[in-house]
Amino acid sequence: MSDPRVPEPVLEVSGLSVEYVLDRGSVRAVDDVSFTVGRGEFLGIVGESGCGKSTLLFAIAQLLAPPARVDGGSVRFQGTNLVGLTDRQLAATRWRDLSVVMQSAMNALNPVKSIGAQFKDALRAHGVRRSDEIAARSAEVLRMVGIDSAHLRSYPHQLSGGMRQRAMIAMAMLFTPELVIMDEPTSALDVVAQRSLMVQIKELQESLGFAIIFVTHDMSLISHFSDRLLVMYAGQVSELGATRSVFDAPRHPYTQGLLEAFPSIRGAKVPLKGIPGSPPNLAIIPNGCRFHPRCPMAFDRCSEQAPDLYERDGSLVRCLLYDDAAAGSATQQAGGRADA
Amino acid sequence: MAATTATIQPARPLGGQAARRLWRAVGRNRKATAGAVLLLFFCFLALFPGLIAHDSPTAEIYGRSMGVSAAHLFGTTAYGQDLFAQVVWGTRQVLIIAFGAGLASTAIAAIIGVTAAYLGGAWDGVLNLITDVLLVIPLFPLLIVIAAYVQNSGTLVLITVLTLTGWSYTARQLRSQALSVRSRDFLEAARVRGERAVYIIGVEILPTMTSLLVAAFLTNALYAVLFASSLQFIGLGDPNATSWGTMLYWAENNEALQTGQYLWAVAPGVCIAALGTAFALLNYAFDEIGNPALRPVRKIRSKRVRPARS
Amino acid sequence: MPDDSRPELLRAEHLTRHFKIGGALARRTLHAVDDVSFSIGEREIVALAGESGSGKSTIARLLARVYKPTAGEISYEGTPLTRLRSRRDRLRYSGRVPMVFQDPFASMNPVFRVSHGVLRSLKLHRPELSASQRDAEAARVFEVVGLGAEMLHRFPYELSGGQRQRVGFAQALVTRPKLILADEPVSMLDVSIRIGLLNLMAKLRDEEGVSILYITHDIASARYVADRLIVMYAGEIAETGPIEEVLASPRHPYTQLLLSAVPDPRAPLHVAAETDRGEPPKVIDPTPGCRFRWRCPLAIDVCEQADPVLKDLAPGHAAACHVAQTGAEVRAFSA
Repeated sequence: MSDPRVPEPVLEVSGLSVEYVLDRGSVRAVDDVSFTVGRGEFLGIVGESGCGKSTLLFAIAQLLAPPARVDGGSVRFQGTNLVGLTDRQLAATRWRDLSVVMQSAMNALNPVKSIGAQFKDALRAHGVRRSDEIAARSAEVLRMVGIDSAHLRSYPHQLSGGMRQRAMIAMAMLFTPELVIMDEPTSALDVVAQRSLMVQIKELQESLGFAIIFVTHDMSLISHFSDRLLVMYAGQVSELGATRSVFDAPRHPYTQGLLEAFPSIRGAKVPLKGIPGSPPNLAIIPNGCRFHPRCPMAFDRCSEQAPDLYERDGSLVRCLLYDDAAAGSATQQAGGRADA
Repeated sequence: MAATTATIQPARPLGGQAARRLWRAVGRNRKATAGAVLLLFFCFLALFPGLIAHDSPTAEIYGRSMGVSAAHLFGTTAYGQDLFAQVVWGTRQVLIIAFGAGLASTAIAAIIGVTAAYLGGAWDGVLNLITDVLLVIPLFPLLIVIAAYVQNSGTLVLITVLTLTGWSYTARQLRSQALSVRSRDFLEAARVRGERAVYIIGVEILPTMTSLLVAAFLTNALYAVLFASSLQFIGLGDPNATSWGTMLYWAENNEALQTGQYLWAVAPGVCIAALGTAFALLNYAFDEIGNPALRPVRKIRSKRVRPARS
Repeated sequence: MPDDSRPELLRAEHLTRHFKIGGALARRTLHAVDDVSFSIGEREIVALAGESGSGKSTIARLLARVYKPTAGEISYEGTPLTRLRSRRDRLRYSGRVPMVFQDPFASMNPVFRVSHGVLRSLKLHRPELSASQRDAEAARVFEVVGLGAEMLHRFPYELSGGQRQRVGFAQALVTRPKLILADEPVSMLDVSIRIGLLNLMAKLRDEEGVSILYITHDIASARYVADRLIVMYAGEIAETGPIEEVLASPRHPYTQLLLSAVPDPRAPLHVAAETDRGEPPKVIDPTPGCRFRWRCPLAIDVCEQADPVLKDLAPGHAAACHVAQTGAEVRAFSA
């Protein structure tokens, strides 16, 4: 487990905001998000549907397409701000130092080209021309993910779901990048394949030393693999801290609600509640704290003042309960509001 | 929460709301607005021809082959008829054929295409065979043969002939679309709760395909205009009817272009093209309305990126 | 296998469903479900769990009469489904055994209000009701599933995923069902919303007396609501029994593998040194023998030769595994 204070940042996201420009006005899908990722660190970004995590990922990887656009903030990768660079300027960094693994391999891999041909495309696009080098490197990355190199000749549909995802990861490893961004690469897999893929990813990370940003909605899966966890809600960071700390002592009421919504197969069987209501429509966000309409611990100020990120025991929490100035009035009323 | 006994609104489809959204969509899309204006203009001509053209289109009382003048905006034909009046009054027949054949062939295409997709199996095979046979037969020669057989085809005959030969193309399109929605859960839910096939096709599937049905109608109307005019041009229509196609027929018979009576051929020709364009523009627009990915991407002028906050 | 303490509602015996695949020249058979037998009693929730290709969705569709069995028989309240000839009989069955679908965004026709499906079901299955009685009944079931009656005139796009799934249950409830076939009803919902639906299912069993066949790939949610568990693998039943017992002492190696892979945020994940890399097979023209043998560390000779048969290893708790049936302790994958 690495220290939340990252000594050698590979990626620094500062105040990043993304908006969707629509006919009737624009909607902010990502609002003022900041975090850093250190060398070799595994950062998990979790949230439910509509929280903006995928948009955030696309913004970092500079893959946003109209009507989405970065509305503010910076994404510094190894010192250079990626926001505003052209495709040609980005090409040098892309795949060499920063690669992306998408959610569904069937959608990301070209179905009419063999795996080997797609690796070759990627290698040649970055200057590797000799066929013996191409063959060697392709076989090597496949071996890294546990696939026999004979499958270089296979087409994506001939591989099983788990193997396809591994092939995607192998492709992302072609140039041993510093940072790999993954968007829910395990969602389409069964639970056994999910676990083995995660183990594989973690092993690769430990042997090659790259950093990972892993976006998922499956908190329980990521909890065993990430160093730090960032919880998103309604486009904002609601909690950010060391994984174990977030799980053992969740601070934000949303994180608490989320963790309590997971039934367990071990231990006592207890009735669970979930979180009433649903995430807000980002075109009409609530006044004050975005979570307050659903929060069992909301008090008066929550509907008036939007909380900043406050620090507590090494974690950041966006909740007025942790605003020391407001703490006084909060403790008087905390727990008084019954949930729906 | 107390249970209310107020009557529940019947589960009518999104009638009024969809119409309003459609109206807004048409207004915002340039192609749609242009096409709609043009079509409305022709509809107005068809409904109130007397308001625009005061002369009778058929009376052969004026001077022959006169040029453009204040009394005869387009001049006169070789038979002494007012050309302007003919063009204006001819709009009616053309539009009747366009809407008539368009609606009829779309209706048949919808029923056959969607039924084939929904029932699948042997039914699909048989209906497909019929559709494909008609699709492969060259349409225009077939039309000529039929129209020649019937002789002096009036409006109704033309509509019938065009409908019978024109439904196959859009039947294929609608079948493909229906195939893609066939496995949607709400259809399976309808099947599982015991609905009959006729109900599912008519009430559950067709309403979800409205934009495609409108597009099919516009396509069929466009082709009806073109083919009807072509048939009339080669003399297979009723030569005594007042229509743009028959005008072309008589113009050709009297060698209008060679003898310098250009407007006799050009005026109806331009009208045919304009009406066809109206349908085509509306068709493009419906594609874009239905599928946002086709909309023209307006480049977003990037604002200066604000510096990060604290 | 069957729980004798409660009256039996539905029984499947040697249920088999094959699909022909491939072109005219290379005809092959996909064995989606092979020789599956189980029963469901009144007022119980039975979880049918398995990964992809296990056949669980096919079973749902066989029970809903979307597919006809290739072999085997399904009986409802003692009557085989093949005896349902008239439209009235079939309608009655689909009213007693309705289905709830997985995808909340595709399960309702977007052009109609959400009351549409409920009102249609009432018209078809309870024709004796007048229009105002239908309205009242629709409002009643909406209250039961936790939506207000005023939701009836909304359109699907105005509802969240969780609300739409509740409408799905309302549509099933309105026909006075005895058994609801719920095909992965919460898989596409956010985690915090799932609990609400799972609680609703438990409430339907307890208060409305409805049984539910809960099809899922998520064992943890199965544990939360179900009374019994059926674990499927590659078209066959691997293990079945009361859920707490199966989870506490799984006898089939596949069940153990499945349980070991389920992440639990509260407990550290034991990552086995050799992590299983395999995936469930697509069963096409299978040879005899246990379908799990390629991934099973305990496979013995007989596993290659004969299909294992489901046998009770403890009262009500059965597993289809040659090794387990020899009486040996099965410990293939540690949790």
